Amino acid sequence: MAAHSDSGRTTEQIVSQFLSKALHAILAARIPYIHGPTPPPSRHPRKRDRWFHLALGDPPPALEHPSGLIPNGVMEPLVVDILLSPRDDPTMPEAIVERWVAQCEAPAPWSPLHSPAETSSNSFLVKRTYKKSIILLRSIYSVLRLLPAQRVFKMLCASNQSYNHDLTYRVSSFAEPFSRKEEAEFQYHCFAPVETQSGQLAVSVQYRPSLSQFNLEISSLLPPMLITDYVGSPAADPMRAFPSSPSERAGTRSSTSFPLRGSQHGQPSTSAPASAPVFFNRPHSWTGGPSEVPSNRAQHPNHPPTGSYRKPAFNFDEFKFSPPFYMSPTPSPPKFSGSYMQSPLRSETAPVSIPQPGSSKVKVLRSPNLSDPTRNFLPPPSPRSARTTDPSSQDSDSRSFRRPDGLRTSDGYSNMYGTPKGLKDGRDDSGRFSLSGSPRFTFSRSSSRISVPDDLDDPDFSYPFAVDDVDSSDSQARSNDGKEVSDFGHASSSHKSQDAAVGVLVHMLRTAAPLRDSTYSSQSSKSELQEEGLGSTSSFFMSRKASDALEELQSYKSIKEMLLSQSKGKLH
Amino acid sequence: MNCEVCELKELVVEQFEIREVLRCILHTIIFHRALGLVRPRDINCELFELTYVQCGVPEVEKEIEEKITEFISKISKHPNRRSHQVCLSFYETKDKQPAWFSSKTERVYWERWFINLQITNQRVNMKPNQTKVGFDPGEKLSSLEEKLHRTALETSVRENLFQIIKFVNEKMDHLPHIPPNAEGISYPYEITILSSSESSLDMLKRMLQTGHQTTLS
Repeated sequence: MAAHSDSGRTTEQIVSQFLSKALHAILAARIPYIHGPTPPPSRHPRKRDRWFHLALGDPPPALEHPSGLIPNGVMEPLVVDILLSPRDDPTMPEAIVERWVAQCEAPAPWSPLHSPAETSSNSFLVKRTYKKSIILLRSIYSVLRLLPAQRVFKMLCASNQSYNHDLTYRVSSFAEPFSRKEEAEFQYHCFAPVETQSGQLAVSVQYRPSLSQFNLEISSLLPPMLITDYVGSPAADPMRAFPSSPSERAGTRSSTSFPLRGSQHGQPSTSAPASAPVFFNRPHSWTGGPSEVPSNRAQHPNHPPTGSYRKPAFNFDEFKFSPPFYMSPTPSPPKFSGSYMQSPLRSETAPVSIPQPGSSKVKVLRSPNLSDPTRNFLPPPSPRSARTTDPSSQDSDSRSFRRPDGLRTSDGYSNMYGTPKGLKDGRDDSGRFSLSGSPRFTFSRSSSRISVPDDLDDPDFSYPFAVDDVDSSDSQARSNDGKEVSDFGHASSSHKSQDAAVGVLVHMLRTAAPLRDSTYSSQSSKSELQEEGLGSTSSFFMSRKASDALEELQSYKSIKEMLLSQSKGKLH
Repeated sequence: MNCEVCELKELVVEQFEIREVLRCILHTIIFHRALGLVRPRDINCELFELTYVQCGVPEVEKEIEEKITEFISKISKHPNRRSHQVCLSFYETKDKQPAWFSSKTERVYWERWFINLQITNQRVNMKPNQTKVGFDPGEKLSSLEEKLHRTALETSVRENLFQIIKFVNEKMDHLPHIPPNAEGISYPYEITILSSSESSLDMLKRMLQTGHQTTLS
């Protein structure tokens, strides 16, 4: 039970606490998030909750000191206006949807309460007053849920919706009279008064029976505004800091205090409510700061500072901490447009590194054999180079030697991943080649190339397929590599979808140190290699390189033919 | 002590609406009569755009649900009866002179609430959210009728609730003293189901004559 027993309470204390609790109940049922973004946790009822046996939880800060509500005593009426304010249009007037009036009216001279009573009857009256106040408060609590504004309150409290109106309030000690027209729009409900020693405690409410005229609609998450940091703009800052917690955000908005009108009546505004910031937080709205509003309202001569505020003109800066602003500009990096094309390539060619001397990664990628991943960076062979390779394919020995690998190559290629369509297009063999890096591909070829891994481990090893034309020596291979690159570059020009990727590969190959070995030979070594066959060791090696290159080319052709046949088969 | 009686306006309900309607009314009455410390709970009606208040005492909720279930099962056994009544009574327990074959305590009722329901069986087997899809104009009319009925019932329930609030505010002098340190329910109560053949006045007469608690099987 409360610390004060029933008999210990005075009438004035009861009335004062009643007004405070009534105001608490009204605001809690009408103003969304009056307690802040997060509701206060339920806890054991405090002394304050035990007043009138109705636990409403922690009151809003403005109600921490109920004496501030009625500085002139309990006889001062308490008028609470609930307003529906347009959110996106500050010029539109706000409308009162409910007006609650609670007042302790002085007893009539002929009333038995007017004359002083004995102590025992005082105690009886106090107890009876308190009991009836309990019921009256319950009735107010119930009626709040039955009036039309309750529906609006529920809608506004919806966590994921933002409406075009806000519910605000205004507390004052006198009621501005309605016009006749306004009066006709309201219905009136009066609660039975409670007799007290100080008078009759009367509560009444005027309410609009219908709120359909306000066209309460869901508004967009963000009001119309000019977005300066749109995605892709130079002002976009993806590294903008998020606020740490909702409470901090609430704190930034709770700095505004709304002195109650009643408290200002005849007293400076620095009275109790000044220490009681009242704010209206809607964590999902993330609207403009309330800091602008009080100054606007305070400066307006006809608008005394009230406990309400309206959303000011939109201030973009206020949004910089708002979650929706983080959500709406999706973190796609258009400002990195230059890398946009590169990034998928990079992601797809990541397993295949740029050949660098002494690079272990490159070694790994090179490791098995001639199925050198670095070849994959090479642009597709030019038609001329492809034709030049055709004679080599006519070599039965090389063909028989190469074909199985070509098949395996096709298997490997068929299992390649992440091949962009653009690179598959047309020059699918070369495109796939440029993206292969699949270990499966390399391993599939390892069986046919025993000596090659050793060569591949050599940092100075020239990638045989780096050149289209087979060279008899390393230098020749490397020089052909450069030629092949140029040929590839020439060929790639005919395929726009592969040009960018091929160009990147070519660039990487060109900048790779081993590829620029001065020992590169001319193209003549290629034909020499073809003529020499597999005789001498070095020539054999070079021929192997050239043969591998030719074999690769053949494999690409076979892959291409296979894919075409498959596509034809699917169509039929 | 006077026994204040409040006869609420009759509500025309369908069978599937009984539970929600009775919840609204019973909880609202008890919320205004459970004068011990309560932590109120707002409950949004499932069928109507209506919010009512519960006193937040689990035992009360449980008993109300049980009584509503009992009421529904009783009316299902008597489908021909249309009018039914639920009575919510508040009483005090007083000692009386011990006598043979009588209890030592008696219940003195100081307030009674009669909730009058008229059950319609138009769509007994239809679920509340069941929608009909068809091209028959009659079916469309039934959905319109259902909507009208729902709107009218919501209005009637709201009127009932305002009637309750008006009554509890006007009639306070007969309330017994609130027990000290009361938590939740301050006054004992009971919920009884009256048959349609027995009116509330008959029940009151019988109770005043016998002075015993009246329970119906």
